Amino acid sequence: MVALRLASSGLLALLAVLLAPVVARSEALTVAALRLSSSGPLFIAQDRGHFAAEGLEVGFRFFTAAQPVAVAVTTGDADFGVTGLTAGFYNLAGKGALKIVAAQSADVPGFPLSAYLATPKAADAGLKGLGDFPGRSLGITQTGSTFHYMIGLLARKQGFDLARVRLVPLQSIPNMVSAFKGGQVDALILPSSVALPMIASGEGRLLGWVGDVTPWQLGALFTSGRNAAERRPLVARFVRAYVRGAAEYHAAFNARDAAGRPARGPGYDTLMPILEKYTQQPAARLATGLPHVDPAGRLDVGDIHEQVAWWQAQKMVDAAVEAAAIVDLGFVEGHRNVPR
Amino acid sequence: MKGGGERPVPFRGGGFEARRSRLLPPAALAGLVLVWHVAVAGGLANPLFLPSPVSVAAALWELAQSGALAVHLAASVGRVVTGWAIGTALGLAVGLAIGIVSAARAVGMPLVSALFPIPKIAILPLFILWFGIGEPSKVATIAAGVFFPTVIAAVGGVDQVPRSLIRMGQSFGMPVAAIVWRIVVPGALPIVLSGFRITVAIAVILVVAAEMIGADEGLGAFVLMAGNLMRTDQLLAGVVVLSALGLAGAGLISFAERLLLRWR
Amino acid sequence: MELLLEGVSHAYGDLPVLEGIDLTVRDGEILCLIGPSGSGKSTLLAIMGGLLRPSGGRVATRGAPPDGCLNPLTYVFQDFALLPWRTVAGNVALALEHHRLPRGERRSRVGNALAAMGLGEFAGAFPRQLSGGMRQRVGIARALVVRPAVLLLDEPLSALDAQTRDLLTEEFLTLWRRERTTAVLVTHNLAEALRLGDRVAVLSRRPGRLREILTVDVPRDERSRPERAGRLAEMSAHLWSLLRTEAQAADRELADRR
Repeated sequence: MVALRLASSGLLALLAVLLAPVVARSEALTVAALRLSSSGPLFIAQDRGHFAAEGLEVGFRFFTAAQPVAVAVTTGDADFGVTGLTAGFYNLAGKGALKIVAAQSADVPGFPLSAYLATPKAADAGLKGLGDFPGRSLGITQTGSTFHYMIGLLARKQGFDLARVRLVPLQSIPNMVSAFKGGQVDALILPSSVALPMIASGEGRLLGWVGDVTPWQLGALFTSGRNAAERRPLVARFVRAYVRGAAEYHAAFNARDAAGRPARGPGYDTLMPILEKYTQQPAARLATGLPHVDPAGRLDVGDIHEQVAWWQAQKMVDAAVEAAAIVDLGFVEGHRNVPR
Repeated sequence: MKGGGERPVPFRGGGFEARRSRLLPPAALAGLVLVWHVAVAGGLANPLFLPSPVSVAAALWELAQSGALAVHLAASVGRVVTGWAIGTALGLAVGLAIGIVSAARAVGMPLVSALFPIPKIAILPLFILWFGIGEPSKVATIAAGVFFPTVIAAVGGVDQVPRSLIRMGQSFGMPVAAIVWRIVVPGALPIVLSGFRITVAIAVILVVAAEMIGADEGLGAFVLMAGNLMRTDQLLAGVVVLSALGLAGAGLISFAERLLLRWR
Repeated sequence: MELLLEGVSHAYGDLPVLEGIDLTVRDGEILCLIGPSGSGKSTLLAIMGGLLRPSGGRVATRGAPPDGCLNPLTYVFQDFALLPWRTVAGNVALALEHHRLPRGERRSRVGNALAAMGLGEFAGAFPRQLSGGMRQRVGIARALVVRPAVLLLDEPLSALDAQTRDLLTEEFLTLWRRERTTAVLVTHNLAEALRLGDRVAVLSRRPGRLREILTVDVPRDERSRPERAGRLAEMSAHLWSLLRTEAQAADRELADRR
């Protein structure tokens, strides 16, 4: 099957070369993504014609979990991917299959993106603060997921042993929520769009926001190692359009008023329908949890190095993976916190 | 026929016999591994998609060395054995009842036929609601998967017990219980045992599904984690252990067959 | 022990197979039942032993069973009905296992029955290892172990080849002479009926009625003598003439059988 795939992709490449003079104007690209507001810059760049302006004809392939997005780019089913950074991602990237080229969303202070939530029962039994996790259970999607990393970050920050928190893999957010409501886990880390209604109804008690406690680079835009090496001009055009979308997203959705409260920035009303269209969620729901996206697509590179090191310490990412090799800094100016 | 000369009669028989071979099964396995290795080493298959048998063996060795293998194996074997035993005990009881009592057949068979095709993996969330997130829901998933094929095997086994044997038992004035225990049950045993071959495999398949939810130990949990982490070498190492587990189960059933079905 | 049948009739659904059978099996006799196929011989035998409830009429026994009899009406089956998973001894012992017997008696009964049928050295063998004749010997040993009052033999020899059949017939007679157990033998073999039977009852084609009961007026011990052959041939010819017309008619009937 693998051989077949390689053969067919070779055939496609040949075809592309033969047809290149005919369709030089507009290049077709596939982007793998999730229907989440954190992919907003992508949707905006598409809808507002930034991709088209770069001569790119972009099609989306939507998935429901981060893992398949990375796999789709690895196998060549998609040219770019936008999603959260997981241990699985780093293992694929470490083998040269993937290169991070720009930032997606990040947990940063003042932006309620990911919430620590306790069940009322667990809260009454003493799970009141962020240092109370040891000895309790936390539902996550999967080992190696972003949720797994966030509790790892908290353990480091609060100085407790992660081994003392019982991590319960539940595969999906709906499963996590039902296990939480059934009292089968004591706590969860949840995206705000899911967490806020539960806090409002009293089904969950808010312990804090990840961005306030342990800011980190949650997601990224990435492409295949081969694209980054062999089709650099194309990648550059794509990233340019993506960053334009990111800038518009940031201006509209990440604005804060003088008191630091969320405010509607310029373009909010024109861009919100785009998010509604692609995420298939109502504006009212989206508005409660618009994640922070860097306006220039700049990555917190040092944080990515830390992530890789932490996963390696957990023995979940191959020790041979080199963080510096999986980030390609050449497409965006001014990446932050770049280790020397 | 013209000519009328002497001509040897060509041999046309033979074949279609199950002959045991000691050499062929391991040779086939070794051949598969060799083809696999050559494909990866020769660059035919991308090691990212298909790790070489060497790296799978290395992952397996590391797993065994760290003691993790023993922990995962113990957790999964415990679940498989408990779930299989419960599913089998209930399945045999229900299957015998359906096979023997007409009223039970009228009620039971449609129910079994209706419930059997439900994928147990799909109703795993229900099991979690009913039995919680811990061991009971995992064991229940395996037991449910084992139960239905066991019922069907037991009914089939009872059905193929020759009625003449039952009449014989009646002709000697044997009480019903004695007819069931001395004629029906042993007569159904061959089919029940071949049903066990299938249910053991089902139990191994379902332990992986059961360990998707809320398990941090177990071969299924390990394989899923390896998949999540894209550690394909570890994933295949786990798969190798799972298939060895299935093989061991099949071996036990063969042993039981040799022991219990000596008369065949 | 005698076996009395009064007005026995039977039907499978609305298909009558037996009608108005009045018959007494006398104590210590061998009664052979013959008839064309489909005449209900086996059905009648099943009714005699209580394995089938007749649609009409009644079946009764008269007289006391012999000492130590555990199962007065005992069958020997055409297909032997041996449990393939039990050894020869196990199959014979099966007939005793649901009776409360001292262990010693159980062992001696099984041992005697096996010895009587010449099965001593095969006690540990499984049925599949035995020839057809040996299997039926096990079937007979299993019947003997309960010391029956009436033996009901349902074509016990018809699954065997001719030589085995002759051997087993002689063996059975030798045994029978010792106990003189009342026996009913269903057969379709006239020679067998005339070799074994005190009387031969002939059933008509379906629905089976009693056509005739022939008393074999040659003493059993003299039946193999050449000077008796004439008389036996006469009886055989008579029985065959009775059967022949019935069999021909029955044969043509098969087409409209449900």
